[in-house]
Amino acid sequence: MQEIKKMTIRQDYLDFMNQIFEIEKKAHNLKEENSIQRNINRMKGIMEEDFFKGTPIIGLSFHNPIGETYTETRTDCEATIAGASVEDLEIIEVLKPIIFYAYQDNDKMIKVIAQSAVVIVQSKNINQ
Amino acid sequence: MENTINYGIDLGTTNSAIAKFIKGEVVIFSNPQDMGSRTLPSIVGYKKDKILVGKQARVFAEREPENVKSVFKRKMGTAESFPVKSLNQSKTPIELSTEILKELKTFVNNGDILDAVVITIPASFGVIQSNATKEAGVQAGFKQVILLQEPIAASLAYANMKKEKEMQEGQWLVYDLGGGTFDVALIKIKDGEMKVIDHEGDNFLGGADFDRMIIEKLIIPKLSKEYYFSNLEDAMKSTSGKYNALYLRLLSKVEDAKIILSAKKSTEIEVLGFEDEEGSKVDLEIIITRSEFNEFIKSEIDRTIEMIKKILTKNSLKPTDLQFILMVGGSTYIPYLRSRVEEVLQIPINCEIDPTIAVATGAAYFAATRKKEIIIDSKEKKEYQISINYSCPDTKDKDVLFSARISGDIENLSYRITRADGGYNSGLKKLTKFINEELPLINDAFNYFAFSVYDDKNNIIETDLNSFAVNSTFTVIGQPIPEDICLEVDDYENPGQTKLDLIFQKNTILPARRTVTYPLTRGVIKGSDEHLLIINVLEGTHLSLPEANKSIGFMSITGNQVKRDITKRSDVEITIIMSESRDLTVSAYINMADQEFKEIFNPKARHVPITYLKVEVEELADKLETEIQEASISEDYGKAASLTKLKKEMDIVSQETESLTNDDSTDKPYQLEDKKRKIAQEIYLITSDKYIQLAKAEYTKIKSKCAILIDENGNDHERKTFNDIVAQESAFFATNSPIKIQEKSDELDNIIIKINWRTPEFLKDVFQYLKNNQSRMNDAIQAKSFIDSGNFHIASENWSGLADINRGLLSLLSNRTGDEKKYFQGI
Repeated sequence: MQEIKKMTIRQDYLDFMNQIFEIEKKAHNLKEENSIQRNINRMKGIMEEDFFKGTPIIGLSFHNPIGETYTETRTDCEATIAGASVEDLEIIEVLKPIIFYAYQDNDKMIKVIAQSAVVIVQSKNINQ
Repeated sequence: MENTINYGIDLGTTNSAIAKFIKGEVVIFSNPQDMGSRTLPSIVGYKKDKILVGKQARVFAEREPENVKSVFKRKMGTAESFPVKSLNQSKTPIELSTEILKELKTFVNNGDILDAVVITIPASFGVIQSNATKEAGVQAGFKQVILLQEPIAASLAYANMKKEKEMQEGQWLVYDLGGGTFDVALIKIKDGEMKVIDHEGDNFLGGADFDRMIIEKLIIPKLSKEYYFSNLEDAMKSTSGKYNALYLRLLSKVEDAKIILSAKKSTEIEVLGFEDEEGSKVDLEIIITRSEFNEFIKSEIDRTIEMIKKILTKNSLKPTDLQFILMVGGSTYIPYLRSRVEEVLQIPINCEIDPTIAVATGAAYFAATRKKEIIIDSKEKKEYQISINYSCPDTKDKDVLFSARISGDIENLSYRITRADGGYNSGLKKLTKFINEELPLINDAFNYFAFSVYDDKNNIIETDLNSFAVNSTFTVIGQPIPEDICLEVDDYENPGQTKLDLIFQKNTILPARRTVTYPLTRGVIKGSDEHLLIINVLEGTHLSLPEANKSIGFMSITGNQVKRDITKRSDVEITIIMSESRDLTVSAYINMADQEFKEIFNPKARHVPITYLKVEVEELADKLETEIQEASISEDYGKAASLTKLKKEMDIVSQETESLTNDDSTDKPYQLEDKKRKIAQEIYLITSDKYIQLAKAEYTKIKSKCAILIDENGNDHERKTFNDIVAQESAFFATNSPIKIQEKSDELDNIIIKINWRTPEFLKDVFQYLKNNQSRMNDAIQAKSFIDSGNFHIASENWSGLADINRGLLSLLSNRTGDEKKYFQGI
């Protein structure tokens, strides 16, 4: 298999990404009109494109898997099941997002998981 | 083939690990399915068509106990078996342990044939339990299995780390507190022989209990006090309880908090996002201090101490008879646990080994001393001729269908597909003639997958497919940009002049997008006609002068357009997007006004306003005049003649531009702009040698200064950066671009600044300068406070403190006035 470059990302960088994610979640819940998302996007952009210039890493990005289907094959999420049913699981809450680091391998962009998401999952059939 | 076993496995109750002794060192293999983890949760789950092991099985453990089995190690050697509902049959502890061992084998991907191993067992295991463990090893495909007691393994890890030859006599305790179990063992070494003399333990005590206590003793009481809940604890813990999801979420948060408390004295736990029973929104930040946490866990720690005391009493030992207590297991990171055990027992604790991998490490050291005794029977070796014909197209979708047709003898074989970054694992599935799998993809990246086929002992079978890739970036390659795309910005080094910042490099594939942030170099009053900033996007090499490149997007913002006064040094975010058809979108977001300005420019039209063209032409004419004078003074008559020849063309362009009306709608302005650009390019070509020489001289000067400072005070990173720049010297000199050379000088300057800011003499000089300029500070009281602190730091030789003070004082220094006029672009 193609060798993936394993790099250790400093925990404080991951903590920082988690904080951006938290702010984004809170901003999303605000009812009054605001432009906070713009600042959040900028912060995400800095971490994805600018912050790591001059290092082997292109940048860090995160993915919020809320609402996605969960199966045991997803090793990008550390899941906890809420409720009794384990069929047809859906991610209902994301405590930490999936964080990727990206690097360039010749002309290819490779993304590798630096942090698995921490999620709560629940059966879609819970209300049926 | 290696003569010694070399492989060691910690087959733990809650977590397992595999390690190998290689050339004097032990390597712990990473879990390929759990990025960054070196352990495997000892949990096995059975789905209809596959077996889940480790983290994947753990997810289902609490909710589907009928199909997921854990802590089976406690039942090793008993007749008890675990019914598995999905299989309609029972699994013995041996069979379950076999699955763990087989999974651990897949961690090793170095071509070794894993046929011999050392497996660790608890000190409490008797003959039957030991034989059962051995049997699990054999069923997992190991032909030679040697057992080793866990406390001995941990002690070996310690002894090898210390390389202590004098550890010939003595006794100590091994204190092993993991996620869910506790064991303590008394170890004695006599004439170089290590033995477990006595042991105690509790199979239901570990770090998970501490997490639970934080919720029970801190969070539930606080929530019940602040909000209305009739029986919160039950509503949280029952799987059908209203607050069950909250409980699970809190478990994750308190585990994080517990880890932070090992390093900090307090931390906060945020509890929000739900309503109490009266519909009030819960929004609480609960502070937990280390001392509170210590109080919660004190009784449990004391219970472990009582077990140690029992061992001491049974063996008629005094604390002074023991050398130390060796700490093993992740929970022994807790500072209070360490201090409490040491304080009560008055035996020194030893935390020198990594407590999470100590047992596996010790097992591998032991394995390196044991000879392999395996006779290879060539008849045993089965040749498989497996051929795989597959399809898995490139796509930008979230997932892709992998289809394969398998030929060959597939009986008793299984397969697993994993994504190389660790985000997907199909689990071990029975190999069939046709396979269809939906594989999730990471978008905008290349996704690599491994396809592995295993025999019934989880030994890898060679096939003609080991890996495949799915391209999830743009599947149709867009056109590349033929020239650099740049932004014209003010040149801080040379006020009054502008320079180019590279936005997209030549050959960047379209579409492309980039956002850059600049502090504004000018301010503007709301409602005024003065411009705040000019965004001029240019096409052409970024190593050229701005006037020599072609403007492809131009936008200006004046005081009339902004909602409020804008202050110099506030930020503007400029986003430049170029579509596949080369439409250019420029947007500027003024942070201070929370306003965005946006324009789209078509590649077929040009957009330079005539007023701006006039200014540019005038500036170019002045520049040409200056260059002619300089060439004459330096008696470079050839150059002066060439430039004078250009002046004639320049004069015509100047006159024609001057005569343009500001609303001219003919092609004339574009023609003049092209002519202006060509003249600028000519000027650049004729005069560039002068600037190259100047840039090279400046570079050489900075390089010498930097080399001296690196010799005196540089660190390894700075030395490497310096050497890298010097190694590229001939390459960037060969570009004949003064800007490129200047870039390298700036990089060296950055190293100089970094070193200087660590150097006491420099810091003192800066401090003195700032003190002398105290009257120019914006905030006199704050400045005085900084200066007092700075004097104190000098007296106490706290140089990093002085550096902070200098930064603080610099920020108070009034900005120079009158600069606005020199900065034309505004960025």
